[in-house]
Amino acid sequence: MPLTGAQAGYGNDFVTGMRMAVKDVNDAGGIAGRPVELVTLDTQAEPQLGINAVNRLIGVEKMPMVLVAWSSVVKAVAPICNREKVLEINTGANSPEIATLGDYVYTAFPLAEVDITKLAQYVYQTLGKRRAAVLYINNDTGIDAAKLYRDTFTKAGGQVVAFEAYDPKATEFTGMLLKTRAANPDVVHLHGLTADTPQVIAQMRQLGLTQQITTYSAGYNPKLIEQCGPAAEGLIVTSLAPGVQENANVAPFLERWKKEVGRVPNGLPYVQYQYDMIPLAKALYDHVDKKGQPATGDTLRDALVEIRTFDLPMTGKMVIDGHRVNKPVYLLTVKKGAFVPLATLS
Amino acid sequence: MLDPIILAQILWTGIATSAPYVLLTAGFALTLKVTSLWNFAQAGLMAIAFYAMFFCLNVLAWPVFAAIGAAVVLTGAAALAVEVWGLQVLRQRRSGNLTFFIFTLILSEFVIYVITLLFGTEPQTLFKSILSPVAIIGNIAVSDWDKLAVATAAAGLAALWLFMTRTREGQFLVAVADNAKLAELYGISAQRAYRVVAVIAALFIVGAMYLVGSHGGIVPNTPMELVLTAVIATLLGGIGRVFAAAAAAVVLALIQSFSILLIASRWQNLLLYGFLFAAILLFPRGVRVPRLRLAGARR
Repeated sequence: MPLTGAQAGYGNDFVTGMRMAVKDVNDAGGIAGRPVELVTLDTQAEPQLGINAVNRLIGVEKMPMVLVAWSSVVKAVAPICNREKVLEINTGANSPEIATLGDYVYTAFPLAEVDITKLAQYVYQTLGKRRAAVLYINNDTGIDAAKLYRDTFTKAGGQVVAFEAYDPKATEFTGMLLKTRAANPDVVHLHGLTADTPQVIAQMRQLGLTQQITTYSAGYNPKLIEQCGPAAEGLIVTSLAPGVQENANVAPFLERWKKEVGRVPNGLPYVQYQYDMIPLAKALYDHVDKKGQPATGDTLRDALVEIRTFDLPMTGKMVIDGHRVNKPVYLLTVKKGAFVPLATLS
Repeated sequence: MLDPIILAQILWTGIATSAPYVLLTAGFALTLKVTSLWNFAQAGLMAIAFYAMFFCLNVLAWPVFAAIGAAVVLTGAAALAVEVWGLQVLRQRRSGNLTFFIFTLILSEFVIYVITLLFGTEPQTLFKSILSPVAIIGNIAVSDWDKLAVATAAAGLAALWLFMTRTREGQFLVAVADNAKLAELYGISAQRAYRVVAVIAALFIVGAMYLVGSHGGIVPNTPMELVLTAVIATLLGGIGRVFAAAAAAVVLALIQSFSILLIASRWQNLLLYGFLFAAILLFPRGVRVPRLRLAGARR
């Protein structure tokens, strides 16, 4: 996980969510009486550091399973996991390519084809938008998802009038936004990361682009509202995990988080998935224990496929469907400075 | 895209965006002119300036002017410390250019690592909101930040020009820049000139970092990228030509902004590196604009 670097705000909260779950699992007796230990290494969301971290986890720590997030890192470490026969589980990246990375790479997090497809269809069918602009960060997170949005929106009958990528290090977006303004879209889909998304939205509003903005779950972040202020009003974001209203476990979890961390988590839905990775791992280990098998990449992978349906405390029912998972998409919008539910797309 | 309003908007926003780079370039180029050093330690000073303001505003909840004042004091003190306990020692040892270069670069990396440990690596802004009120002037969106940025850069350059041309201290800097040994024969202290330059650069750095930090998120490593722009502008403007370097910073920002008309936005940042190559290979003494000769002018 990125514990330092521009993505550390999310990465550290991911690990905090997992630690809470580890404590809960251990308080309940661990896995067959053995305590769970979480070994975390910093990737800075950089592929090369991810490779170093996974090499260490496999070579030194002898881990049969690794939990990885951020698309570029998930992709970069996949060949190692396939070669070493170690189960890699994606816990928060959404590049559609993750489903095709190999026999030992699985996802517990819905890929972009789940929320982006449904979002693009919702924008066309329910919001009645016909001309979309797609602005995306030029990395693994943005490229695939932006293409997916463009293809889905076009297939639905809409027209993508601007399709612009920006450099991950960019801080000034005026040119791209003016190009977008000239294309005269009636909706703008933004697919960036937590660091750049608020800046793009703020500059967009300052340049007089008043169009509806949509983004994915990276935009479901209270800091974004703080940074963008009134510019965030009306923003539509996706969430792939049930909220307080849909899942009774979420409110106590949030309260506990506020008590222990002193604030709300960055990207609550993501953090819910991270929490659930530990009960999921426990289920896999319990399964191989029951069968009297050693915990290896092969046996854990077989367990994942055999169990297939997991009932997880924070994100609910999860069905492993090949190398994908499907989940309902919860849409939220910013109203009076807060995220409020807008629709649920099953 | 060739709508005059869009072109005017790109022009205005490009000029406003260039303002922090103008200030950083002026500080960097002045330091190079007077001390003959590529002082990469300025990246560390940028980090100190930003995080000092960030700490005063967000942790101590000080008013803006107090936070800026604290940053000026802290950055100025750090700049003097680098000069007195670092660069001066190396000069006394008659160290080579490479030693100075490595020293300043490592110093910046050291400062950035310390700041990373203290403040983390999450992008931070000086103010909770990065939204600046906007006025539409002649169909062009002009934000309060744009106006502040342009005014700060213009005031900074004007003050520097007045200082360099109208004060004895400024003329001493020019004398040291021309020939430090000769200046010392005339009783001008080169050491004092170096310290004055360090403080001036610190002032420019604080101004620039206020603008950058109130416009978008900064991580501890951001200053290394900012200093690169200052280096490119200094090379293009020509070593020893402070105001030409500042102008080059504006031109660079405008080229980047207008390039959107011809290339995809994801290539815009790559242009900077292209200019760096071109500047080093083709214009080692800077881009010189030929002077116009008027009819009848004396030959």
